[in-house]
Amino acid sequence: MSLIEVRNLKKYFKVPAGLNHAVDDVSFTIEKGETLGVVGESGCGKSTLGRTMIRLQEATEGQIFLNGQDITHVKGRELDKIRDKMQIVFQDPYSSLNPRIRIESTIKEPLKHSGRFHGKAELQEEANRLMELVGIDERLRQSYPHELDGGRRQRVGIARALALNPEFIVCDEPVSALDVSIQAQVLNLLMDLQDQMGIAYMFVTHDLSVVRHISDHICVMYLGQLVEKAPAEELFAHTLHPYTKALLSAIPSTDIFHPMKRVRLKGEITSPINPEPGCRFAARCPYAKEECRQPQKLQEAEKNHYVSCCRLKEIS
Amino acid sequence: MSEKKEKFLSVRDLEVVYTSRKKIVQAVNKVSFDLHKGETLALVGETGAGKTTIAKAILGILPNPPSKVLGGEIQMEGEDLLRLPEEKMLEIRGKKIAMIFQDPMTALNPLMTVGEQIMEGLMLHNPYDKKQAEEKAKEMLEMVGIPAERWVEYPFEFSGGMKQRVVIAMALACNPLLLLADEPTTALDVTIQAQVLDLIKELKDKYETSMILITHDLGVVAETSDKVAVVYAGKIIEYGDKKDIFLHPSHPYTQGLFASLPSMNAGEKRLRPIPGTLPDPTALPKGCAFAPRCPKATQECMGEIPNVKLGPDHSCCCCHLKQEG
Repeated sequence: MSLIEVRNLKKYFKVPAGLNHAVDDVSFTIEKGETLGVVGESGCGKSTLGRTMIRLQEATEGQIFLNGQDITHVKGRELDKIRDKMQIVFQDPYSSLNPRIRIESTIKEPLKHSGRFHGKAELQEEANRLMELVGIDERLRQSYPHELDGGRRQRVGIARALALNPEFIVCDEPVSALDVSIQAQVLNLLMDLQDQMGIAYMFVTHDLSVVRHISDHICVMYLGQLVEKAPAEELFAHTLHPYTKALLSAIPSTDIFHPMKRVRLKGEITSPINPEPGCRFAARCPYAKEECRQPQKLQEAEKNHYVSCCRLKEIS
Repeated sequence: MSEKKEKFLSVRDLEVVYTSRKKIVQAVNKVSFDLHKGETLALVGETGAGKTTIAKAILGILPNPPSKVLGGEIQMEGEDLLRLPEEKMLEIRGKKIAMIFQDPMTALNPLMTVGEQIMEGLMLHNPYDKKQAEEKAKEMLEMVGIPAERWVEYPFEFSGGMKQRVVIAMALACNPLLLLADEPTTALDVTIQAQVLDLIKELKDKYETSMILITHDLGVVAETSDKVAVVYAGKIIEYGDKKDIFLHPSHPYTQGLFASLPSMNAGEKRLRPIPGTLPDPTALPKGCAFAPRCPKATQECMGEIPNVKLGPDHSCCCCHLKQEG
């Protein structure tokens, strides 16, 4: 049994122009203590996917399982219980902390809510333990968020997510607002915590070098759909989908003698509002043909390596 | 190679401070560099290192107060930009020096069509009438890959990547001699970033524009620049050819920057971050500003820091290099 299973999940938003298919028929599983990386460009639905999975938004269709239990529609006390097990670290450490609450109180809040701790001393002890765990200095514990730099603020966000001993954390671009030197500190912290506590992560990001570094499996998303899914090293070694290829080649390389040969994509991402059936990448794909207008399915092309492209055989 | 090219811009001992009530923020501390014609210099460093302040000082758009240029000179074509009267600077801004701002969402006026915004600069700096400016504006849009008939549209009707291309079209409209590009692709997705970088490179080659590129992305630096200046706490701590910096990073900070990248070539599981954070700019440490975070720091780092020459075009501010070399 997988820790998390997502089956045919859909999330549509009503907009004046029609229905925005933000997440459209996505399925995958996450095992205990594992990291699933979800990559894609802005607007592809990766954050919506994460938020829907931990029930911050209601799914339009499909099912979400946690330890085999269907949690797609649980309510009230039941929902509270699963919230203990699923947490989120948000992208922007500047806006996801309450500016008027001291960071120690921010971390104590979920602890109080859980009802697991009795008396001030016990609460304080647990808060101290968490802050030590994520490396927040003692002198900063009574500070307000604006007094901290981005890296430390993100540590507070991580401590808050860890407070209830979750089994699963959605990390929604947790390092993209940070400088590289600080980014490395936070990534190391997340990986250490995983080793110590066996937490599973879903790591949502647009940064491919980060995702490669931290993930066991990677899903590539384009306009609400998964186009490729594979173990991390396999994905980078045998990239199959034309979109993934273009995405990888677009990363500026720090190797000054061997610059990547770029697959040049033309045009912009097409609108996710009332999309046509068929491959959504076809409009920008250099290999697009008539048959790409048919609905596509994620298929196992190699062992554990799933791709959604009907022309795969001809182009690879 | 650089011998043949003429020196075009020369910044000497630039010093900028921001004042707020009682505190003084030393944003730029005695920065000097040269830029040759057609060359791209990358300013690399963390948020708050002073990169954008350097660019704004060159263009003369630092608001005073709170900021103040304390000293130094910025020589371009025999004139010191810091001492030119405002009327002269008005002629230079947008004509000879243009800037691409980081955030395309806020750099455009939401109440003007993109065509009008490009025309504004054109009519100010050229003897064009409205019709001619309109033609030129459309031509610029086509050049950055936006259909000319969209010139009557407003910024909100464009995507982020297209807005950034409009900003680039505006900056290049008057064929500037110097382009200041402040994180031109940071707000964009990688595939769009690749398009924009290719475009800037193409246009730069076509018009032989010199460029100062501000970024914290070392990959972008590797792809677009000739020279690299690493900025830390308002100082250039290492300067050199792209090859020097990428193959022989010499300052412990530069080495730290490279080490903390999650390498695309995988392998190691743990990253090696630089410990600590940027020093408080209102109270910079004595001597080397990087010393509190530096693994090699010794007593010596509290004193005067030499600028060590490591090659014809490669220099580095670190007292440990002198001993070794």
